[in-house]
Order: sequence, then C-alpha cells, then structure tokens
Amino acid sequence: MGKRSMWSFKFTTASLVLIPTAVGINYIGKFFASLLKLPLWLDSIGTMLSSMMAGPIVGAISGAINNIIYGLTADPISLVYAITSVAIGLTVGILAYIGWFKSWSMAVVSGLVVGLIAAIVSTPLNVIFWGGQTGNIWGDSVFAFLSAREIPIWIASFADEIIVDVPDKIATVLISYGIYKGLPRQLTSIYRNDDEIKEL
Amino acid sequence: MRTLSLYQEGNSIIHKIDPITKIIFVLITILIPIIMGTLNSAFAFLLISLTLVIIAGVIKKVLPIVGFTSIILVTVIIIQGLYYFNNRTPFFAIGTVVFYKEGLLYALEIILRIYSIINSVSLLMFTTKPSDLVEALVKKGLSPRIGYVFSSVLQIIPQMMSTVDTIIDAQRSRGMEVEGSFSRRIRAFIPLIGPAVISSLIDTKERAMALEVRAFNSRYKKTFLNEGTTFKYADVMQVSLISILIISIVLRFVH
Repeated sequence: MGKRSMWSFKFTTASLVLIPTAVGINYIGKFFASLLKLPLWLDSIGTMLSSMMAGPIVGAISGAINNIIYGLTADPISLVYAITSVAIGLTVGILAYIGWFKSWSMAVVSGLVVGLIAAIVSTPLNVIFWGGQTGNIWGDSVFAFLSAREIPIWIASFADEIIVDVPDKIATVLISYGIYKGLPRQLTSIYRNDDEIKEL
Repeated sequence: MRTLSLYQEGNSIIHKIDPITKIIFVLITILIPIIMGTLNSAFAFLLISLTLVIIAGVIKKVLPIVGFTSIILVTVIIIQGLYYFNNRTPFFAIGTVVFYKEGLLYALEIILRIYSIINSVSLLMFTTKPSDLVEALVKKGLSPRIGYVFSSVLQIIPQMMSTVDTIIDAQRSRGMEVEGSFSRRIRAFIPLIGPAVISSLIDTKERAMALEVRAFNSRYKKTFLNEGTTFKYADVMQVSLISILIISIVLRFVH
C-alpha cells in the first residue's frame, strides 16, 4: 500500500476534534507570549502542529476557524487575516508532507518560507485595511522610513510585514517542530497518512 | 459549563434579528466601503453600524475594543499625514513637520472603515448567542461537524486556560521564573507550552472516542434540539442587504 496523497483526507473524528484543540493551543501560545512579554505573537503553534500531524487541509481549517473565533471574541479585525492563517496551515502541511521537517536546520528554512508566504498574503490586507501598516512598532517605523523616501507602498508594506512575520514564524515553526518531535507515537499515529496502521 | 462568549443578554430589536442577517450585514460593512473606495460610503456605514450598536445597548462594551485599535490608528494618521505618496497640499505644520491634506483624508478613510468593521462585528458578537449562531449556520447547510468544531472551540478554550493555570503554578513551584532577562523568559516558554499541548492532545483522543460511541459519524439527517423562533423579516432584510451589495458593485463599475 502506497502513501496516500496529502490532499486526500477523510474527516475522521480524530482529525475533527484536533481542530478545536489546535485553536486552543494557538490561544495559549499567544497567552504565554504576552505573559512572558516576548516580542513575538507565537499565536499559530496549534495551526502548525495540526498541519504537521494531520495534513494541510486540517491545518488550513484550524487556521480559518482560529481567526473567525478570535475575531468574534476579541479583535474584529483579525477576521480578515483568516486568509493568512489558511496560508500558514497549507504551507506547513505541504512542507511537512514533502519531508522538510527532518532536522532543526531544515525547520529554520521552513520557518523562513512560512514567514515569507504569510507576509505575501498579509501585505494586500495591510494595504487595504491599514494603508500598509501592521501595528507593530518596529515594522511601522520601517514603513514610515521607506514611505518618507517615496518607496512604493506595496514594497514598504511588505518590508513592514516581513520584519514582523519572519522572526515570529521561524520561532513558531521551531517551537511546533520541537513539540511535534517530542509527541508520543500513540498520539501522532492516529493522524498518519500512510494507510492502515497495524496494532499488535 | 463556561464558554468563551461576549454575548450580552438583552431585549433590543437587534437581539431579535436572526444571526444570518447579522452575518450578511457584517460582510457588507467590510466589503462595500472597499468596493466603493469613497469617504462617504465609509462614513455612511460607520453611522449605520454605530446607530445599531447604540440601539442594541452594547456601546459601552464596544468602547474598549475601539480604544485598543485607536492607538494603531494614531500612527496611521501620523504616517499617512506625513508620507502618503499623493501628498501635495500642506494642511498644517508643527514646527518644520508638515502634515498634508491628501494623507490625512486617506487616514480618515482608513479610520472610518476600521471603526465600522469593529461596530458591525461587535453588533454580531454582543447580541448573538454563539450557540444560536452555530445552529443558524448549520440550518443553512453548514456541515454539522464543522458546527460542532465551532461550539467546541468556545468550550475548550476556557477549559484549556484552567489547565494553563495549573501548569504555571506547577512550574513556578519548581523554580521556573517568568520574569527577568529576555533569554530567561524565552526559555520559560517551552516548559509552559509543552505540558499544555500534550495534555490537550491527550484530551483530544478521549474526546474523539467519546464522540464515536455517541454515533457522531452517523449518516442520518441531524435534527435540532431547539426549533428556534424565526425572525419575521429575515428574508426581506437579507434580500435587501444583498441587493445593496450588488448595486454598489454595479455603481463601482459604471463609474
């Protein structure tokens, strides 16, 4: 029996209940980051973990539901960034499937890719809703600096987003990868794609 | 059971409107000002949603959210006022720093749009019970399994947060420090998040089994516990809201 495609997925009960847990983990990550006053969001650990465990589709749904719930319970504007979360879920799921999460150094590269993709998806949203800013003080200083030099808004906004997103996503990927590696087989095996699992 | 919800009990007319109509309203307040791209449309939608928030009697609850966002909006005014690429006409100057009219108008448009989104989403979240919202969506054809996911998130988060309190206490009693230098704080992250993730994933496995034994996967058509009252004017309101959206798209392409 070969490996099933990463896109073929059955909505098993196990992968379904993984989604709310992923959203909860995102929430906790964000909570700990602010408790420890870390200059990062770390609010997509759950999305990334669910992508690594159950594939890009479950990851993407976790990302979307995460922002919908966050938008409806705390910060309305985060609703529109659901698209970015979907992109993060898809990217991590695909990278995990093609085997990029083999070592810590590959995980750093993966984090870079995820950060870049997140920035590419977020930039148009930043331009449409915030005139290009991100609300992060460091990123916005760069945005102001570049705008003052008449750099086009898209480039200035992309730079603003990258400064914020890339370090955050690298850190988040590393944390998620570390946790994923440490998970007992008993937990990860229910989500595995390679066909029936034999139990003794 | 504790759930994560901002719902405020109330008897206003807004509370009686069905969730689907409110969702459509949220969508058009986000979309139309962007489609039209004019100051007037953004202002109109802010006025409408603000009026509705006042009618619903939740304005006090909305203010903290508005306040939180306003800090970022101040930087929008400064940056766009100074550096917006279309800046031509000086508006006022503080010392040698000149604010331009075009940039300030652009900042105003952003502010109006953001505030109207906040107001309309707040309208939805403060006047709709989350369970009603999910049920309405499932009745409209959303998969009941996704519906389960939504209501389950709202219950799981408070549950996980109480686990988090236990973990913080346990790690502190082992001497973990959550304050101090940056490297110390970042090192504290793993012993906090690790146990939280593992314990929630173990719960996941149990929850899956609990659902399975209750025939969660049954293919029979699902029925509803609450028949629910239907809002009389829902259809009329939804049709008119969607027509407004279509008209605005047409107007945009005609001009």
